[in-house]
Amino acid sequence: MNLIPGIGLVRGMSLTLRRFFQPKVTIRYPEVPSDVAVKFRGRLQLLYDENGSLKCETCFQCAQACPIECIDMGGMDTKGRFHVHWGAAETYGERREESALRRSGRPVPDPAYERFTPIDIAAVDSILEDFDHDPAQLLGILEATQAAFDYLPVGALMRISERTGTGYAQIYGTASFYDHLRLGALGAPASAPSAAPYLAALAAATGAGRQADA
Amino acid sequence: MTTIIATPPHWPAILLPRTAAADPTDLDAAVRNHAFEGLRRSLRDGPTATIAVIAAARLRGRGGAGYPAADKWRIVAESASDTRYVVANGYGADPAVFGDRELLERNPYAVIEGAAIAALAVEASEIIIAVRAESTEAIRRLRACIAAAEDAGLLGHNILASGRTLNVVVRPVQGAYLLGEETILLKALENRRGQPEQRPPYPATNGLHGQPTLVQNVQTLATVPWIIVNGPEAFAKTGSKNAPGTILVHLRGPAGEGLAEVPLGTPLRQIIALAGTAADGRPIKALLIGGPSGGLLPAELLDTPYDFDALRAAGAHVGSGSIVVADDRACVVDLARLLTSWCSAQACGKTIPCRIGTRRLAEIGERIVTGTSRPADPGLLADLSADIVASALCDHERLTTLPLTTGMRYFRAELEDHILRSTCPAGVCHPIAVAAGPVN
Ligand SMILES: Cc1cc2nc3c(=O)[nH]c(=O)nc-3n(C[C@H](O)[C@H](O)[C@H](O)COP(=O)(O)O)c2cc1C
Ligand code: SF4
Ligand code: FES
Repeated sequence: MNLIPGIGLVRGMSLTLRRFFQPKVTIRYPEVPSDVAVKFRGRLQLLYDENGSLKCETCFQCAQACPIECIDMGGMDTKGRFHVHWGAAETYGERREESALRRSGRPVPDPAYERFTPIDIAAVDSILEDFDHDPAQLLGILEATQAAFDYLPVGALMRISERTGTGYAQIYGTASFYDHLRLGALGAPASAPSAAPYLAALAAATGAGRQADA
Repeated sequence: MTTIIATPPHWPAILLPRTAAADPTDLDAAVRNHAFEGLRRSLRDGPTATIAVIAAARLRGRGGAGYPAADKWRIVAESASDTRYVVANGYGADPAVFGDRELLERNPYAVIEGAAIAALAVEASEIIIAVRAESTEAIRRLRACIAAAEDAGLLGHNILASGRTLNVVVRPVQGAYLLGEETILLKALENRRGQPEQRPPYPATNGLHGQPTLVQNVQTLATVPWIIVNGPEAFAKTGSKNAPGTILVHLRGPAGEGLAEVPLGTPLRQIIALAGTAADGRPIKALLIGGPSGGLLPAELLDTPYDFDALRAAGAHVGSGSIVVADDRACVVDLARLLTSWCSAQACGKTIPCRIGTRRLAEIGERIVTGTSRPADPGLLADLSADIVASALCDHERLTTLPLTTGMRYFRAELEDHILRSTCPAGVCHPIAVAAGPVN
């Protein structure tokens, strides 16, 4: 085939030579920072802290942000309540009970899935009826539910999610953002941070109440 | 009710009338005091002229950032849409400051008229006044005023036979410190989870329900009728050169607290002298200016003028309109760490600087006052603060760095006493116990 010996080498080298003068695509990372999208806020990765517990706080931010709803999760939030969020059904071929949470490697007691306090679903349904199952009225639905149950039971939130077609992450996020909405059980104090520590800090700095011992 | 501190008679009284009206909701009495005269004039002169007057007055937003009002009005007016909104931000996020609430209770017609003038100028027909749900009296008075003005043909359908419609509603909102932030407030008005949005697009082009929305603090709006009636030249003579006009300041110190209407640009020394907030001859140690995420300024900076730019340059900000005076018995480091952990607990959780950055910051503060700090902590604090400021989504995270960074800038010696010597000069923290404890 090769009439002239070494022609293959020359051909190969000519390719090398052409490439040599073409514009480079290599980014000298990390010396030269690469361009990132303005919305980029860091890589999502589940990490463990120095005590070996998962750093994920079950805040549902990632599940809520994911455009294709491929993140499902469940677990204890920082207030010790159990919540589950499932992404769209069609993204899963496996049994959901065995999904993300179990795969995270943390032992999860099975009864967790049965621990929702049983509630009167009819009461939730009638509230949903009043609000026309309208997801745009979510805050009103949650306030009415709290008025009926004195707090927001997980079972009620699941029902609202199912009937309004709003993801559980979205509902949990809304319910936990507003201080006047309570996720805790009956009579439990409001879960969200209140103004008290701030006012106490100001009182300490200005010495309100210090006069007594001065 | 909060005490209103009397100010020198030559100071302008634009927001709170010097002699309180017997009944602030009495429309006839208000009209005798020139209420709705500004609305009539701006209806006669048209939107362009009104915006020009506001621009000439150099009115800046009283909600904290001091953004020029006329610029925002122009953007809203020029955004193509059939529906535009005006949102009056009367939430008053800082739970220790009652300026906006007192204004709504004592001078409700000024806010309503200001919002109406703004709505005419940007060609909006829907006005929403967002008020803290706990401020029931303010809500009651606003609703009474709106009803009276509608009956008189000043609001509602076809106002003053001009063919223009102005619908005003009062929306009580509650449940989070962050609701004061404009994009979060708009989410709450849409019944959604409160989380800020990436800007741009700004609410001025994509606000409530995606429509152009003018969000303006209630003090900003209450200033508008005064400007229209008295003219921009008279307004520009009040306050400071770059920020004319007055603002409500909530003063709090060892001698008590109160609210004062202060011309912008007044030196801090004169403001705190109003309330005699410097108690029984004790030296002032620090001023916390701007609310929970305010800056801590030392006594040497008492001559700083109280306005947007000068405070920013010094490391603080107008923020919620709060000035807290601490004397030599207070520990600045302890105050800074308490504020940081409170602000961190308020953060919405949407982004990494907000969810994790502010928490790590609070932990550094915690370590310093408990005597468990590490030698690298001051450097870490500076680095982390810079990263948070650079990567934050909303201003809350950026401002949360202020108590500790200004503490480090102005009270370095006190900070080092905590970190290096495990002592608290003011005797407030007890950092020695842990440091000297047995090692096992
Ligand atoms: C954490 C945070 C809290 C805020 N709270 C308030 C508030 O209580 N009232 C207010 O008018 N603006 C508040 N703002 C500022 C608003 O986002 C917005 O800039 C303002 O309402 C615009 O009005 P202005 O231009 O008249 O100041 C807050 C901002 C942040 C970041
Ligand atoms: S749920 Fe929250 S803490 Fe957990 S991985 Fe998602 S974003 Fe992170
Ligand atoms: S993004 Fe969460 S508080 Fe700013």
